[in-house]
Amino acid sequence: MKVKCYIQGMAAISPQQTFEGDITTAPFVQSDSNRLVCIEPDYKPYIPANSLRRMTRVLRMGLATALKCLSGSGVSTPGPIVTGTGKGSLQDTEKFIKEIEQYKETALNPTPFIQSTYNSVNGLIALQQNGTDYNNTFVHRGFSFENALVDSLMLLQEGATHTLTGSFEEMTPEHFYIKSRIGQWREQPVGNTHLFDASLPGTISGEGSAFFVLAAAPTPESKAAVTGIKLLYKPSLERLSAVLQELGADADLIISGANGDSNYSHYYELANQVLAAPTIPFKHLCGEYDTAGSFALWLAASLLHAGNIPADWFPMVKELPADFKKVVIYNHFFGEQHTVMVVERVSS
Amino acid sequence: MEELKQKLKEQIIEALNLQDTKPADIDDNAALFGDGLGLDSIDSLELMVLLERQYGIKVEDPREGRKILQSVQSMAEFIQSKQPA
Repeated sequence: MKVKCYIQGMAAISPQQTFEGDITTAPFVQSDSNRLVCIEPDYKPYIPANSLRRMTRVLRMGLATALKCLSGSGVSTPGPIVTGTGKGSLQDTEKFIKEIEQYKETALNPTPFIQSTYNSVNGLIALQQNGTDYNNTFVHRGFSFENALVDSLMLLQEGATHTLTGSFEEMTPEHFYIKSRIGQWREQPVGNTHLFDASLPGTISGEGSAFFVLAAAPTPESKAAVTGIKLLYKPSLERLSAVLQELGADADLIISGANGDSNYSHYYELANQVLAAPTIPFKHLCGEYDTAGSFALWLAASLLHAGNIPADWFPMVKELPADFKKVVIYNHFFGEQHTVMVVERVSS
Repeated sequence: MEELKQKLKEQIIEALNLQDTKPADIDDNAALFGDGLGLDSIDSLELMVLLERQYGIKVEDPREGRKILQSVQSMAEFIQSKQPA
């Protein structure tokens, strides 16, 4: 399979000021909480008021990110829409389940039920943009976004000129509490400023939405190119080491999913040993969530396009590389789904 | 009847999250769907749920529902007709 596509447009909503897309001037948004929450834009310029009133948070985030991405790419019709989400609309799911109990399985509101399905965002994008092409949502925990990306690559190989590929994820207070019971989060508040001060069990939670218009052929407007991807389920350290060497041996920059969680830090320590290039983390910017890899891809492409790394965003890194052309993203989701993505600068 | 219509308007606004609409903006006889308040088919299902939850009335026949949900006036008349004398 040919593994190459070009990022023609991209947009992200995250706990950082990413929606306007200028990574070089946006400050690092600090938080004292172990639950990083997205900075949401004004949705009214993107979504009609009559539709907006019915949508919960993640639907607004996903739809607005997709529309912003399309508008910045010069593509008017989205073509195939391929997304990934680990949890979909948690807010709608929680509301629907609570009402089943509260109203004894009768008189249930249709809206939370409809919107709790994982492919709601895709449907909304297609409805608003009159898209009638291929439309698919992958729900595979820590592989969700990366499977959407692999599917997009295959669609491009089969002849699609471009795809709209993305992810969306939200964290609710209730779900945060549930996951805290199984030790996913730090017991003491560390926020994103002290995440890497010590390696202890647990990390900080996050959420976000990122979309990309991917094309089979480059144009002068191409932001970056995705040139490699590998998905590994619970790999042995030997297998992981071999894949990292295969894809990242000549990388100039590593974007690491390290999240300060001592339960799974040995994988990232291995990556540091195997890969010689300078490493920057990204989970202090977006937190941990199923589709955090999409934020990492947005970050990699943004850095490659800008040509420099804003030092303000990476206070824990003493020396940032001045020049980089090939970026390797290594991430895993609580030790189970491991992903490696290669992103390269497009030569003009 | 007036009290019921006022309450119904407040409940419709809350159930459908009509953020920029006030009860006074809804005319008793204006159409809820189409040109009037601009509601759609999902809203009609939400209004059916409202009738069931708030007033204990279950509308079984969809054709009957179309007449009931024409306006606040028709909804109020229907509710009143179902309430014990």
